[in-house]
Amino acid sequence: MSDRIKEGVIKVVCETLKVDEADVTLESRFVDDLGADSLKSLELVAGFEEEFDIEMEEEAALSVKTVGDAVTFISKVVKEQHG
Amino acid sequence: MKLVIFEDQSFDNFYPLTYLRPVFELRCGATLLMEKMRRLHPGAEAVYFMRAALRDTFLQRYPGARVNDLDAIRSDDCLFANGRLLLAATALPGGPSAVCMAGDQVAFARADKATLNSGAAAQAATLEDLLAVLKGLPQADLPADAHMIGYPWDLVHHNADAIRADFAAAGKRGVEGQKALQAVIYGDPERVYIAPGAEIHPLAVIDVKGGPVTIDAGAEVHPFTRIEGPTYIGKKTILFGAKVREGTSIGPMCRIGGEVEESIVHGCSNKYHDGFLGHAYVCEWVNLGALTTNSDLKNDYTNVEVYVKGQLTDTGMNKVGSFIGDHTKTSIGVLFNTGTVVGMMTNVVNTGGICPKLIPSFCLHYGKPMKGFGFKSMVDTARISMSRRKAVMTEADLELLKYAFEIAKPERDAMIKKARKG
Repeated sequence: MSDRIKEGVIKVVCETLKVDEADVTLESRFVDDLGADSLKSLELVAGFEEEFDIEMEEEAALSVKTVGDAVTFISKVVKEQHG
Repeated sequence: MKLVIFEDQSFDNFYPLTYLRPVFELRCGATLLMEKMRRLHPGAEAVYFMRAALRDTFLQRYPGARVNDLDAIRSDDCLFANGRLLLAATALPGGPSAVCMAGDQVAFARADKATLNSGAAAQAATLEDLLAVLKGLPQADLPADAHMIGYPWDLVHHNADAIRADFAAAGKRGVEGQKALQAVIYGDPERVYIAPGAEIHPLAVIDVKGGPVTIDAGAEVHPFTRIEGPTYIGKKTILFGAKVREGTSIGPMCRIGGEVEESIVHGCSNKYHDGFLGHAYVCEWVNLGALTTNSDLKNDYTNVEVYVKGQLTDTGMNKVGSFIGDHTKTSIGVLFNTGTVVGMMTNVVNTGGICPKLIPSFCLHYGKPMKGFGFKSMVDTARISMSRRKAVMTEADLELLKYAFEIAKPERDAMIKKARKG
């Protein structure tokens, strides 16, 4: 798992959901722990796409539940789209 | 004689209204453009030409219609009518073979069987090729009361006159449905038609001083509704204390409240609550949330510009509202700027400000366009809203939605990407 991607994901999560970095772990669940509603989830997807210059398939991206899973998912997409 | 109603290459001037229907199936007045053509040429058998992707859903709506059938038209004399023609009370003129041009497009042409089966016309492999040949025929004139519709706002602009013409052509007057004693017809009762099964509740006012009003079969007009003619209220539509201003056409099975002025609601759409809709065209399966409002007049009274094919276009008019595609939903309190184009199957969520003048199709607009919950989720929502009217999305409907998604995708993706960078 790339540290750069982990840092980028946490940065977007903190900016979008207005949470402190100290409260975000890889196990944090977007909805249950970080308070993301459906619109915030869409903003997170848009934020990740902007941060990493990637395009994610909407339904797959929205099915990701935790910060750690997002890092894994985005790492895969970054590898596919940027090598 | 065959009446050949065809789309020309201008169908995309009308996006998003024409993603799911041919141009001639757009509404103006009480009826669709194609219905006026058929009404004025009653002896002719209709043959329709449209984009191939629209064929199956069109046939669902008009079973047995002849669609994109070039062979059918060579067996008869034909009257070719551009689908953008708005006819009023006058039929297209008869006579020897001739053509009427509107710019570089055929407005209408008449050609006898011999003309169609001789020379270059006989060799034409497509309708477009055939029309190119017919452009060489002697010139004919458009009836004085006919218009070629070029853009969506033209439909709205001509709507009041089209309602008057449709009312006159239908020739129906009086109350065949139920009108409560405490409901008022203000003006000449000969300018009202309340169809069988329609119901006008107490404390509704139908003001026909400015023009005729038709309340079609099964419609309900609830208390505190005021309708100003010319207006058409479609079959099984319900008005909930609405202020319906002059020049408004509401298609079948709509739920309308708040204030609507000089607008066309194609059918099966909801604007249940307060909020203003003016000089707008709203397609099917749209839901406008409470207090959704569009501007139709700029504060400096200058001409309104509207996005057509990605370019701002001067409408030449100072009253132009919104053009809203099929299956689009708005949240409470959405504010549309003057002359806004809202794509189809888009979810517009209020963020407190006025929306931009172009909102792409198939997105979620939350301050800026985003991808939203995905195509499958949009289709699932559409199935639910259709089921509320006991309609079922067929495989053909779904295929057409997929086609529209692909057509709209480049603009949508570009706008989403641009919004991210902004």
